[in-house]
Amino acid sequence: MAKKTYDLLFKLLLIGDSGVGKTCVLFRFSDDAFNTTFISTIGIDFKIKTVELQGKKIKLQIWDTAGQERFHTITTSYYRGAMGIMLVYDITNGKSFENISKWLRNIDEHANEDVERMLLGNKCDMDDKRVVPKGKGEQIAREHGIRFFETSAKANINIEKAFLTLAEDILRKTPVKEPNSENVDISSGGGVTGWKSKCC
Amino acid sequence: MEEPPLREEEEEEEDEGDEGDEAGPEGALGKSPFQLTTEDVYDISYVMGRELMALGSDPRVTQLQFKIVRVLEMLETLVNEGNLTVEELRMERDHLRKEVEGLRREGSAASPEVNLGPDKMVIDLTDPNRPRFTLQELRDVLQERNKLKSQLLVVQEELQCYKSGLIPPREGSGRRREKDVLVARASSASSNKEEKTIIRKLISELHLHGSCCQGREEGLPS
Repeated sequence: MAKKTYDLLFKLLLIGDSGVGKTCVLFRFSDDAFNTTFISTIGIDFKIKTVELQGKKIKLQIWDTAGQERFHTITTSYYRGAMGIMLVYDITNGKSFENISKWLRNIDEHANEDVERMLLGNKCDMDDKRVVPKGKGEQIAREHGIRFFETSAKANINIEKAFLTLAEDILRKTPVKEPNSENVDISSGGGVTGWKSKCC
Repeated sequence: MEEPPLREEEEEEEDEGDEGDEAGPEGALGKSPFQLTTEDVYDISYVMGRELMALGSDPRVTQLQFKIVRVLEMLETLVNEGNLTVEELRMERDHLRKEVEGLRREGSAASPEVNLGPDKMVIDLTDPNRPRFTLQELRDVLQERNKLKSQLLVVQEELQCYKSGLIPPREGSGRRREKDVLVARASSASSNKEEKTIIRKLISELHLHGSCCQGREEGLPS
């Protein structure tokens, strides 16, 4: 008598330098809230949000990674299972923009080849402190053939749009034959051996 | 009495010098130039002066005598200067040696791990916030945290379905889970009756929708 609470499960991943606002972006999307205190993410965390697209209930399992270098061996092992990756930089932090190529290389190295990528320039509410022009973000996104949004988790700009667009892009690539939600195999693999359920 | 201060290994040479003295002033001429002392130079000049005297008062001899005296004076200066320099350097060396030993002793007492490699770091064992755990341990803890979190989400979702009446109560049989119910009861002895009921329902529900739950579990992060 298994009931179905969703049709599809998409696994997304947030990456980018420490302090660009990955956790805030996710928190805004999942809980529609914002917190100014900066607490560095320890290793890896996740949140779940179910959205409806084209009449389908899609469960988004969104992985939030630590941007700090010292967690990289842990975080990179989560790339492989991701169907979509959001690369976030901070428009007020030039270094975080320069590092985009490094993050893109990480994706090439550790993620699935057909992973859907997206570039986000966060903190776009802080225009007075902006050091990365919007055009530069657009340019690098164009060069790599990926979508780009400027977002603000604080002012709630483009956050939902970014997640929904990424989910739509993944949905478009998903085979028409709807997989049985009970058997959706999205086990990340990724160096971490899957644990079997013991609950039943 | 004019002997330069000698020590340690040089004592042997000094002895040799003494032997030379015992061999008479001529002995100085048989010495190595590096062991000559001003005393030896005086011995040599004594020997040469005696021989020049024996040659008589020929003016050519007198002329030669001036030159020989000059050469002997030069030798005296060189020997003197050389010995002084050697002695100075020896003192300097001994001083530096002592200083190095002192520093080495000091260093090993203060921090025994001074000679760390380029990729090493020092941990202050008295720091309550010092690093203690390995990356693998962190990885394991995070994995367990995320696993429990995902299980909680599943359970919350099931509970929500149950509360909203999507799943009728007492559907099917939860008997096989009776043991777990007992465990739950025992572990929550202090909780009130209502809570127990929720736990019982939850467990039987988990059992009921086992395949659903398991399917999602497999789909969960690993």
